[in-house]
Amino acid sequence: MRVEYINPFVESAFNVLKEVLQGDIKRGELYLKSTSMPVMGVAALVGLAGDVEGRVLFDMEKVSALKIASAMNGEQLTVMDELVKATITELANMITAQAVTKLHELGFRFDLTPPAIFTGDNMEVSDQDVEALIVPMETPQGKIEINVAIRERG
Amino acid sequence: MNEAGNAVAEQAKVEEKKDRGEKIDFKMVTFVLAGKEYGIDIMNVKEIAHAGRFTYVPNAAPFVRGVYNLRGEIISIIDLRTMFHLPAERKDEGALENLLILQIHDQVFGIIVDQIDKVVGINRSSIQPPHPIFGDINVKYIRGIVENLSKLYIILDVEKIFMPKAKEEKEDAYHHAVPARAAANPSVPTHVAPPDAADDDLELGFIREALAALRNFATSAINETWFRRRFDEWKVIRSGRDLQLKEGGEADLYLEGFFSPYTGELWGQEYIEAFESILPAIEGASINVWNPGCGKGFETWSVACALKRKYPNGRIKIWANDSDLLNISMAPNMVFSFDTPPEYYAEFMVQGRNGWSFRQDIRDAIFFEFHDVLNTNSVPPSDLIVCRDMLSFLNPLDQKRVVLDFAEKLKKNGVAVVGANERLDLEGWEPAGTGIITAYAKA
Repeated sequence: MRVEYINPFVESAFNVLKEVLQGDIKRGELYLKSTSMPVMGVAALVGLAGDVEGRVLFDMEKVSALKIASAMNGEQLTVMDELVKATITELANMITAQAVTKLHELGFRFDLTPPAIFTGDNMEVSDQDVEALIVPMETPQGKIEINVAIRERG
Repeated sequence: MNEAGNAVAEQAKVEEKKDRGEKIDFKMVTFVLAGKEYGIDIMNVKEIAHAGRFTYVPNAAPFVRGVYNLRGEIISIIDLRTMFHLPAERKDEGALENLLILQIHDQVFGIIVDQIDKVVGINRSSIQPPHPIFGDINVKYIRGIVENLSKLYIILDVEKIFMPKAKEEKEDAYHHAVPARAAANPSVPTHVAPPDAADDDLELGFIREALAALRNFATSAINETWFRRRFDEWKVIRSGRDLQLKEGGEADLYLEGFFSPYTGELWGQEYIEAFESILPAIEGASINVWNPGCGKGFETWSVACALKRKYPNGRIKIWANDSDLLNISMAPNMVFSFDTPPEYYAEFMVQGRNGWSFRQDIRDAIFFEFHDVLNTNSVPPSDLIVCRDMLSFLNPLDQKRVVLDFAEKLKKNGVAVVGANERLDLEGWEPAGTGIITAYAKA
């Protein structure tokens, strides 16, 4: 993945999470991964198109998703209902959109696809041939792993 | 009893899950010989057949059952059970045998087994090396053991069994020095007396291990010549003291001089001119370059300038990648603080507020990527690959993989530049460098 793409994603994830969760956000060590990997329970996916092809996946545990949605909505949510899903989808959208805006300022043109959300147990993503950058974020509500795979169009 | 059954079933499920989680990169055809499960790499299996009535060949080895006409092609039939001294059931005259038709390089032949099972997909890393006390089949013909769904499979190395020569040569090319080969290696000084040679081999072995453990430096055919030359220098440097490398600093000292000229700085005039001279003549308008292990990016910028000079009208694209995030992050925005840029680079640089940097058209030619070369490389077919001193820091198996990838990605008349002390004297490559530049083309 191009070096120029990394910071916009890391920064916007940090900024958006800090803004919506109002807490202490920590960023973990970035690393690359290219194997199939388990999904923690809730995964929001945003596709990227334009100069590049790729996707951003936001992965978290169900408990964390509920806590994050509760914090963002200002009420206690305990079941994975439409509101929770819509909230997490919106969070994914906010982070990706802000990253894409930053990239646009740097001269890279990306388009977004509408986000999709997946929930369930024992899920796994296997796009093994795609190398992904993993940005682990620690929030007071739990861990979110942002999995960014972007490739130049050949 | 029932409980035990459940436990096994559950275990199988867990195993299956685990297996699915891992990438399947090795498939084998499994079969039974004298009640035991075996596997053969599917890449060596051409087809599965049932046949009988083989034509007896007089005076052939006992395990050769005869020849067989496979759709017009006459192939030899080998009874694997006899070959491995396993009990074989004698079938009636004319009964059909289970045959695996194997293809190794350009040779096709059939082997008879008791029963053919299925195709099993596994991850290469789950193959465990055979234990030397294995009986039945000579251990050197076993590639490894693997567990799948609670069954153990012995994977046979058919290339070694049926093509002993070809395989051994190939192994040698990568494998750690074999004493016999070392003696033939011209870089080993002849004045070393034989008793010393044995000691040296031991010392060399320890140094190899230390370099791998302390600095991830893997000795292999790629750097063997340098490694041995350095060992002779090392003996002089240590003059009688302990030769072993005990900590990182000593390993660094040993590796001093391994790195190519101008590592971590812009290439000097004579080096970059030599580099320019080995660049291939490219007909097309676009020039694709792959620069894995570009580190801080000095190498990439140097290459970009040389290419711009050599192909002023070409559309140059360089995919430069490194798996060190810190190094690669600095690469795209490199600024130099010198008063006047070196002569060679002057025309490609502009002066800004913070110092000198490269012109926009040079910047646009380079994609710096945070990427691990061991993951899928999505670079397009390349005219040039520049990979200095990176291969040596991969383990020998990965080196092999990456070199294969080079061969795949490099265009027909392309050139691959490796480190000054690295050699690609392997099958399929021929030297294309001059003097200080070590380069190879596809043979």
